[in-house]
Amino acid sequence: MGKNLRLKAARAAKDMSQKDLADAVGVTRQTINAIENGDYNPTINLCIAICKVLGKTLNDLFWEDDQSG
Amino acid sequence: MANKGLDERQVRIRDSIGNQTFILLLYLLLIDAALYGLGFRWINYPANIMIILSICSGIYVIRLIAANAFLGPSAKTQRPLLKVVLTVFLAILVSVAVLVLAKNTSLSSPGHIEEISAPILFVTAGVALLIAFITFFISQARDRDDE
Repeated sequence: MGKNLRLKAARAAKDMSQKDLADAVGVTRQTINAIENGDYNPTINLCIAICKVLGKTLNDLFWEDDQSG
Repeated sequence: MANKGLDERQVRIRDSIGNQTFILLLYLLLIDAALYGLGFRWINYPANIMIILSICSGIYVIRLIAANAFLGPSAKTQRPLLKVVLTVFLAILVSVAVLVLAKNTSLSSPGHIEEISAPILFVTAGVALLIAFITFFISQARDRDDE
């Protein structure tokens, strides 16, 4: 599983740190760090919570096709 | 064991580490029993079980802390210092209660319990200090590595 750069970019676009995002969705900063680095595969509930906080869709942040990923 | 507010990644890690530590405990107890059956006694009966349990508990806690699965995201809003003090106090109370109960029952001789109680307390204190130091260094290293 590769790095999730789209999540990192969306977070940076909202001017949020990993800690801010983690507090907003109720997880630890290390969990957000692990998701961004591709070390952890989050559940659909956590994906939805992250998308709601960042104002993105699941496709925008988590869908992987041949071109991106 | 209650969830203690761990997030989903922490719960998954904790479950995995718990399973591995349980298997480790089982194997260590089997090895100890096998050695006892072969006539090799490295330490007398109550102390060997205590030491094996202490080792497994220590490994479990250290691995949880190393994987950041010991405290949940809401831990900072609580009061960890008070929690630690209360936990230590409770541990001391339980230890004393167990020793007093063991002394007063007829299952073991009082002299034998007194023989092992001092080493157990020393070992427990030593292990606690070791865990505290390792925890401190792991936390420092992890904070440096992240971001």
